[in-house]
Amino acid sequence: MAKERSIPAPMSSPETEPFWAAARQGKFLIKTCTSCGKAHWYPRACCPHCMSETTEWVESPGRGTIYSVSVMKRAPEVYAIAYVTLEEGPTMMTNIVECDFDKVAIGDKVQLTWRPTQDDGPPYPVFKPA
Amino acid sequence: MAHAAEAIAAGKCSVALITLAGRPRSEGHSGATPRIRGADAPDTQWEFPLGVATVNAYAMVAARHMHQFGTTSEQLAWVKVAASHHAQYNEHAMLRDVVTVEQVVGSPLIATPLHRLDCCVVSDGGGALVVVSPEIARSLKRPLVKVMGAGESMKGQMGGNVDLTYSAGVRSGPAAFAEAGVKPSDIKYASIYDSFTITVVVQLEDLGFCEKGQGGRFVADGNLISGVGRLPFNTDGGGLCNNHPANRGGITKVIEAVRQLRGEAHPKVQVPNCDIALAHGTGGLLGSRHGGATLIMERE
Repeated sequence: MAKERSIPAPMSSPETEPFWAAARQGKFLIKTCTSCGKAHWYPRACCPHCMSETTEWVESPGRGTIYSVSVMKRAPEVYAIAYVTLEEGPTMMTNIVECDFDKVAIGDKVQLTWRPTQDDGPPYPVFKPA
Repeated sequence: MAHAAEAIAAGKCSVALITLAGRPRSEGHSGATPRIRGADAPDTQWEFPLGVATVNAYAMVAARHMHQFGTTSEQLAWVKVAASHHAQYNEHAMLRDVVTVEQVVGSPLIATPLHRLDCCVVSDGGGALVVVSPEIARSLKRPLVKVMGAGESMKGQMGGNVDLTYSAGVRSGPAAFAEAGVKPSDIKYASIYDSFTITVVVQLEDLGFCEKGQGGRFVADGNLISGVGRLPFNTDGGGLCNNHPANRGGITKVIEAVRQLRGEAHPKVQVPNCDIALAHGTGGLLGSRHGGATLIMERE
């Protein structure tokens, strides 16, 4: 495999600290709303769909489908940026790793995995072919 | 422009000056380099670490458009080809060579599916607009251009309801047309923000110049070339060939539309009887979060 791009550490906020703490334990959390029942991404204190404050963290198995993807050729290390639609509904921006950059395509089934980040930051959620 | 016109109409001022200038080329900016877009924006921790550059965010829009509507690289290339036909007459344009569809799709891939020639230039530059009250306008010795209607909107990732097939123009466009009391078929010339070829295709659909998904077919075969097609666009060469002086190309779009309405565009690209023109801009990334503004103007 070619050398992978190094991922900068995310700047967490009080709203998202539980996500990154769980990520350090290998758990992928998403937020759902107990009022409207919908999941959302990225995690927020208030539901972006119905504005209620009754959101809760749930662990996701991290299964999804590529909604769109672009392979960045003009970079020191080639990488793929993508949107992945989770089984729970929301679509999230991410990277696709451990894939054939000439073949990765919209509609591919993918599975969550993690990548370390710079400066001892928390692991970052990315996806690989399922 | 809309804010200036509103301020004048409200009597808060009678002359408004709007300026934009940037030195992104001197400062070494590149659309291929990831950068933080608002360190305190809640989105940043979910975007920046992933390597969101400008080009790959727009490339995801292009990839989805191709997948969902069958749009081709050749169709996207026609946007650049049209811009280059116009830029050959602009002595200030960075890129004045007329290019072919084959040259665009044969240029190196930057972020799939976008090629180097699908991308705008990065230039230094600037522009200014003066908006005045009707009383002052009548005292001037210049052809007058009037604001007919304007709209502005924004779009984000919407809590995960991501749909890359449309831009903020779906709201700013209809608002501008409603205020102006005209329809897309009345527009004789359009300045459309063109950071990338796909940017033009999506925005033309959103503004109602063609059905959603038909933008690739609409721009093909020279339909955007002045004197050839149905909708002459960016007759200065646009961002694809002329200049792109900062993060938002809006002011250059309004300036060329005003030139067209005044009959002061280059004779080779001047639209005959250009009485109504539109300018539309996007700021931010079509692939994640952005604002859109539409302006419709008429010759008085």
